[in-house]
Amino acid sequence: MRRTSLIALVLAAASLVWARYEFFTPKGSFAVEVSLDNAPYLRLPIYRNAITSLEVIGDYAIGGTSAESGLRPFLFAVSLSKRKLEIVYPLEKTIPGQRAIQSGFGRGADGTLYAGTMPDRPGESGHLIAVRVKAGAIDVIDLGVPVKGEGVFTLTFDPKAGALYGISHPSGKFFVSRPNGGAAEVYEQTAPNRRGFSFLHEYALEPADVLSRRLAIDRSGRVYGSMPANKLFRFDSAAKKVDVLPDPLPEVWGRSPLGRVDAWAVASDGTLYGGNAGDGQLFKLDPATGKVTNLGKAIMMPRLKGIVFARDGRLYGIAGGAPGYSHLFSYSPSEGYRDLGNPRFPMVEPDLEQEIPWRGFQLGTLAVSEDGRYVVMGEEEALSQLMVFPVE
Amino acid sequence: MPTRCTLSAVLLLAAWPLVAGEITEKNLRFAEYPDFPDAHSTWGSIGYSAKHKKVFVGVTNHRDREGIVEYDVRTGEIRLRGFIDQLANLRDYQWQGKVHTKLAEGPDGAMYFATDGGESREEYLMDHPHGYGGGFFFRWDPATNQLTNLGMGLQYDSIKDVEVDQVDGKIYAVSYPQVRFLVYDFQKNDLRDLGRMGSDHVPRILFRDWWSNAYYVDWRQRLIKYERDGGKLVFARDSLPAFPGTPGERIITGITAYAIDQPNGIIYLATYGSKMVAFYPQKTGIGRWEDLGGLYDDPGKPPYDYYVPNLALGRNGKLYYFLGGHGMYAGGEPNVTLMEFDPKQRTKRVVLRFPLHVITEVTGCDVKDESGTMYFAGRRDDRRARRMGESGASRPFLLMFNPEKEIR
Repeated sequence: MRRTSLIALVLAAASLVWARYEFFTPKGSFAVEVSLDNAPYLRLPIYRNAITSLEVIGDYAIGGTSAESGLRPFLFAVSLSKRKLEIVYPLEKTIPGQRAIQSGFGRGADGTLYAGTMPDRPGESGHLIAVRVKAGAIDVIDLGVPVKGEGVFTLTFDPKAGALYGISHPSGKFFVSRPNGGAAEVYEQTAPNRRGFSFLHEYALEPADVLSRRLAIDRSGRVYGSMPANKLFRFDSAAKKVDVLPDPLPEVWGRSPLGRVDAWAVASDGTLYGGNAGDGQLFKLDPATGKVTNLGKAIMMPRLKGIVFARDGRLYGIAGGAPGYSHLFSYSPSEGYRDLGNPRFPMVEPDLEQEIPWRGFQLGTLAVSEDGRYVVMGEEEALSQLMVFPVE
Repeated sequence: MPTRCTLSAVLLLAAWPLVAGEITEKNLRFAEYPDFPDAHSTWGSIGYSAKHKKVFVGVTNHRDREGIVEYDVRTGEIRLRGFIDQLANLRDYQWQGKVHTKLAEGPDGAMYFATDGGESREEYLMDHPHGYGGGFFFRWDPATNQLTNLGMGLQYDSIKDVEVDQVDGKIYAVSYPQVRFLVYDFQKNDLRDLGRMGSDHVPRILFRDWWSNAYYVDWRQRLIKYERDGGKLVFARDSLPAFPGTPGERIITGITAYAIDQPNGIIYLATYGSKMVAFYPQKTGIGRWEDLGGLYDDPGKPPYDYYVPNLALGRNGKLYYFLGGHGMYAGGEPNVTLMEFDPKQRTKRVVLRFPLHVITEVTGCDVKDESGTMYFAGRRDDRRARRMGESGASRPFLLMFNPEKEIR
């Protein structure tokens, strides 16, 4: 008996010495069960819950989902203090025939969120929507179709200008719209021409693989995005003009067809930080000069689907993804990169009061609370959950 | 060369004194796997061909070599049929760490299985030159002794278990570590990924009913059914029974073993929370279940703290399992305990206990021949294998057990 115990102790010690990794499970982290098919609780059903748009307003993490073909997406709200899914809104109650809310949210000064939708069938039209959470309910207003026959691939909102900026799918046109109506202004300079599409065809790439996934706005109200192949554009709202920036996206040699912006974040000094989907490089863009600086890669894999600045001054991001797994990372100029791996957070839910560990493999969206204290991550799965960690 | 099955009599003599009943060590028989000196382990990788009256086992060195071992029930001969990498012309960068799936007999009489990377080398090296490309599906034809590579499942993911639709031959599978439920129509080369069903741990067991619906569990230990007629997943509303206080890590691990009683319309399930459950499948919808109680009783230990990665139903209507493994054992000294469970009476008893140098762990679900002999993939502690390191380092062997007659 004594000998066996000794062996067990030695083995346990050896396993500690040889441990290959630690999961990132900071104190206070948690996962919220958002999806569960045939659930006895309020949950999203299977195949309609990939969290492709995410923002935090007050205590609520608000998500917009994408569904599989033939199915319809949801908007939902999770209370961060209660760690609970509280509100679910099927988009089809307001707009039928839509499959995805993948544009990201633009945020109004009054807490209204703006998003765009992708139609279920090619050739049909995506809509602009305004979303508000109030009195325990989600209110959705249909703001109409910005580009007829096209979906809304990307959207952001400038509260100062009162303007919505977006990229349409599949053409890749840039548009400007207003929440209070009127026809959208459409700019074709960001859309690949026939030669451009032919180039992309050579690489077996579809518009969804190369269009700018997110847009950013600098302090001067200028809008930034990417356009095939591997270029950055800037829209000057005063001049109503689209310019291609001289510096391209950072490139691994030969992979420029894959380049596009996956995510943006604006630093406190106004510098724009971006992630290149093609190879996962983080870069910064000086709005004053338009100069792009390659900050390297957090991990070996491509994609950089979300970046945010939290209250500790670090930038947190999600790199990688299918067919591999997402890695959470942090970055600061003084510390460089820290790969935090697959986050694993405890999930406590009704009938799971004893807690289960939840590990995020395919994280698609990242948002930060208004005080920078909570970083919130949304999964893109058949059954997707929300993962949250505090930043001290 | 075929080898006449040898009895590990010396090892069996090390079995501890009989605790109860008429079953003795003579009801068991061990056979060594031939021509594989660095064989290291087996992982539920066993199956029976009713058509050819042969047992097949996937044996691994847990690094880069998996042997297909055949045991002929009629002649008692055991032989190595070859190594997967050589039979399937795999390149070095397509290395496979083990076979973790059962070897399931298809409607065509062939045996279907899939491969696994094994441990952290698979999970974290990924796209590195030392990384793991992904698990393959294979078809072994006992009629011609030919192995066919049916292609890869998911890039970078292993495959932990398979089942085969007995009507159209589709393969059901679950991947590791992403817990993705796959449906593969290899005849059309159509692989459907029905999505991630769990998170931090991959339940290792898929099973099917007699209509060829396939079952798995989600993170709440709720049954998931792939309803073949509708081609879709159906989720149980409630979780399978668990003891109060069962830790979450045990809940998410789900089912560890099953045995089928088709005449009575029951599938018995052993859970990682140490419950025995009688599940009554139905063609459409999930069906009901009954909690038959715990797998082992020890007032000094939590009732959920036992590990049973094997199960078989005897012709006498009783369930048999070897309890213990992965550092979780019952009784005083670490040992593997052969248990008999009477599902009608909901009673159980200890039959035999084995020290770990005789049996360390046993895997395999309901693999049995027409005479009622059950077959398991056994492993025992082995100093030489342990020097190789890695999870499960041991000496594997084929374990035969017939509760109704002596087979030595």
